[in-house]
Amino acid sequence: MAVSLFAQEAEAPPEKDIRPVRNTFESIWLGDNQTVEVPIKGTFEWDILHRFGSTKTNGFDDFWGLFASSNLRLGFNYVPVEKLQIGFGVTKENLLWDFNAKYAILRQGRSGGSPLTVTYFGNLAIDTRSEGKYFNYPEYEFSDRVSYFNQLMIARKITRSLSLQAAFNLSHFNYVGTGAYNDQNEWVNNQNTNHFSTTFLGRYKITEGLGVFASYDLPLTDHPITDPKPNLNLGIELVSSSHAFHIFVGNYYSIVPQVNNARNLNEDLLIGFNMTRLWNF
Amino acid sequence: MKKLACLVAVVCTVFFLAANVATAQKPGAPWVFPPKHKTMKSTLKAGDASINTTGKELYNKHCKSCHGAKGLGDGPKAANLKTNTGDFSTAKFQARPDGELYFMSIIGRDEMPNYEKKIPDEADRWAVIGYIRTMKK
Repeated sequence: MAVSLFAQEAEAPPEKDIRPVRNTFESIWLGDNQTVEVPIKGTFEWDILHRFGSTKTNGFDDFWGLFASSNLRLGFNYVPVEKLQIGFGVTKENLLWDFNAKYAILRQGRSGGSPLTVTYFGNLAIDTRSEGKYFNYPEYEFSDRVSYFNQLMIARKITRSLSLQAAFNLSHFNYVGTGAYNDQNEWVNNQNTNHFSTTFLGRYKITEGLGVFASYDLPLTDHPITDPKPNLNLGIELVSSSHAFHIFVGNYYSIVPQVNNARNLNEDLLIGFNMTRLWNF
Repeated sequence: MKKLACLVAVVCTVFFLAANVATAQKPGAPWVFPPKHKTMKSTLKAGDASINTTGKELYNKHCKSCHGAKGLGDGPKAANLKTNTGDFSTAKFQARPDGELYFMSIIGRDEMPNYEKKIPDEADRWAVIGYIRTMKK
């Protein structure tokens, strides 16, 4: 009898560790995309994001786009309560001001609990260019400047090195700009106000501080006239205790996600840099 | 022109020497530990699997740039510090109780930052200290 009890004890499964996995990704950004990561409460982050010109247009003459006109976003984020990050940023292209929030709905456990991390990201962006020059049509309203982005991200840290993420995205523009008459002489807008898309990304860590990543953003909505182009990212991630740095190539020139997802017409590759700095309070 | 170049070279040399004299490192003052850190024990058993995985990962991310890959105090940022970072491989350092290493590594003081926010999980903190223990010569 005693032997049998010992056998049962020896076969008892190890205790499940439901603590959240550490760092499914090393930063809230990975190239052009958000990740499921929400830093710990009290974290303040400063983002400096650059997108350069086409590598194809002028070649060596503008050093494959690095010396061409670039796009820049300065962003600031804070985590006031556990699992919730809020932030804002200003982008050179269209003088966009964006206000965003990110919430970790579920977090993958280390060896038990949820098998996945699920995070929501949403933003509201305002085009602040001058009314007379860019919004000079009679029916103009302030709400025409506003666009939105909603994203549900699902990720899993597969191994200590490999993490994968899929996301479903909805971009919405209050104003979709120009259009044309169709064959039936009816006016149609270039695009619908809503645009659905999906994102897949993965990162593989080569060392603790160095990783490689790839992502693909695929438009799903068919628009009446202008369909946006997909985006491929290939890049390198360097991280330290307080910084993350990405250098990558991709097709997106804009940085605010709804503009990228719904309005990207660029098919050339361009170089991008992301730099983030974290402070803990 | 030649005189001007010489003058610039002399001024630069003086500034370089002055800057290096000003940043010469001093040994850290003795640590003062709260009473609970004198008796605090690691929650991990020796040889716990997390020491060489989580502990090593976190050490390399947060500590290596100053303390070096083997804890010798020869990381690339170490030379810019006012205080010598010490050598984790020495018998004197390794003789310190767990709680003192916890206080020095996680709570910090002066140039040694606090890592309570960056390493929020208690078991992960002990994994880092466990990894530092493996640096004993």
